Amino acid sequence: MSNTIMTSPRTRRVASGLAIVAVLWSVIPLIWMLITAFKPQNAIRTSTPEFLFAPTLVNFQNLFSGGNSVGPFIVNSVIVSVVSTIIAVGLGVVAGYGLCHWKSRGKKDLAFWIISTRMAPIAAVIVPLFVMFRQVGLIDNLLGLIVAYLTFNLPFAIWLMSAFFAEVPPSLQEAAQIDGCNKWQAFRLVVVPTTIPGIIATAVLCLVFAWNDYAFASSFAGPSSQTLPMTAGSLITQTGVDWGQLCALGLITVLPMIVVGLAVRKHLATGLSMGAVTGE
Amino acid sequence: MMLPALLVLVLITVLPFIMLIAMSFAKVRLLGGVSLSMNGFGNWSDVLTDPATWHSWGVTLLFFVLAVGMEMIVGTVLALILNSMRRGQSLAFSLVLLPMFLAPITVGLLGNFLLDPTIGLYSWVMESLHLVGAHQSVFGSQTTAMLAVTTLDMWEWAPLVALIVLAGLTSVSPSVLEAASVDGAGYLRTLFSIVIPSILPVLLVALLVRSMDAVRYYDIVHITTGGGPANTTWVISLQLNEKVQATAVDGITTLIGQSAVIGITMLVFTIIIANVFVRVLDRRGLMK
Repeated sequence: MSNTIMTSPRTRRVASGLAIVAVLWSVIPLIWMLITAFKPQNAIRTSTPEFLFAPTLVNFQNLFSGGNSVGPFIVNSVIVSVVSTIIAVGLGVVAGYGLCHWKSRGKKDLAFWIISTRMAPIAAVIVPLFVMFRQVGLIDNLLGLIVAYLTFNLPFAIWLMSAFFAEVPPSLQEAAQIDGCNKWQAFRLVVVPTTIPGIIATAVLCLVFAWNDYAFASSFAGPSSQTLPMTAGSLITQTGVDWGQLCALGLITVLPMIVVGLAVRKHLATGLSMGAVTGE
Repeated sequence: MMLPALLVLVLITVLPFIMLIAMSFAKVRLLGGVSLSMNGFGNWSDVLTDPATWHSWGVTLLFFVLAVGMEMIVGTVLALILNSMRRGQSLAFSLVLLPMFLAPITVGLLGNFLLDPTIGLYSWVMESLHLVGAHQSVFGSQTTAMLAVTTLDMWEWAPLVALIVLAGLTSVSPSVLEAASVDGAGYLRTLFSIVIPSILPVLLVALLVRSMDAVRYYDIVHITTGGGPANTTWVISLQLNEKVQATAVDGITTLIGQSAVIGITMLVFTIIIANVFVRVLDRRGLMK
């Protein structure tokens, strides 16, 4: 069948054993977070791990009630990540197509500029944006965060969509144009529909990057624009860490990303290697 | 067609870049409207003669080598394990990928929790195995703090390397492997003389992708060790951030100019990596 290196029964047994170790290594911390989120306080603060306890929702109740209710922060997180994703993908699809079919000699320079922008260390971008945002009043403002997330999501979307468009056979567009479409119609009605899976994968990754950001949020956001990762970061500095609440918050933060992320698993290799590797 | 996107990109990247350069040569005043007064190479000489700058670059380099090295090795091994599975590969793969979807800040917090010297699950396991002394924090010791923060980063991102390598492994020619097997080549022999050479380009891509992220590593170390103990995990982004935070407090200092200098040095590093990346793609014909 496949291109596995060796297939003797002994090798396969060893491989299965190692696979179990690999899976446990990855999931134990997550399972522990899941369990702790449903634990009462007295079952968390124990010197030997507690496996038997009466599950409770008290950690989630604490998260959503009282002085530091996370309800509005969830809304903030959703707004900034969804809006920045829509803008990035909307502009990125069109520009990615342009980049893919760019014929002149400047193409390599343009591509290099776009990818350098995507890879720029967030710390280096924070400094000038901080000063500029202060000047125009975008500190502690959802719009400021949306703009900040575009600095990495827009170049990412352009770059990755260009890679996805490169896989569309040029004959497809030519055929559409012979059938009487103009260039724009051929792009909109023929090329774009064939790259829908690529567009969705790009959108999901933009969403995950923005949703999980902590560095930008902790520099630009404030009480009225706080996001979920920021909330997680601030919970730990208060006296006496409430691990139950933190695990509940971690769970709420990661679950939507796992769902959308695994939904595009087929394209993750392409997306996360910036289009350099094609997946399954 | 590219115009709207490129205009936005210029606005949000070129403008800040010019600003960054300008600030690196200036005293920046933030109170009462932003104003810059040029002070030549003052910030540059301050930063480049500050031992703290070189210390944090050294720490970053150490982190870089340890984290990216471990991620490449562990990620490749993960990919080889998953690739050799016949049943359940898809499920096992999905489970292995899960850490990637966590916010890095959550990874740091989970690390704090699991490695808490009194209530941590992993601390308890390590104490039971006598790997660490009772109630001894791995983040608090100079010898283990760096290892702990790199392991957390590796836990989250080795799956990404595995993902990329696995994509490369599926393209290794089955007939070549079969021939090797017929010729009696053992596992390691096949691995090192056939598999690894044929996935070298893919390994290089994984290395570059992880390298870019390793330079800007911030969230996990910020929330776990905060740069300590005794600055042994004080990476360059913490050094930069400290200057920005100090500026936010008093509003008028040369510190923000200094942070701009540090930002530029970090940028140079990524531009070099981006350059290599584009060359690799170009050689593979992915950039027609």
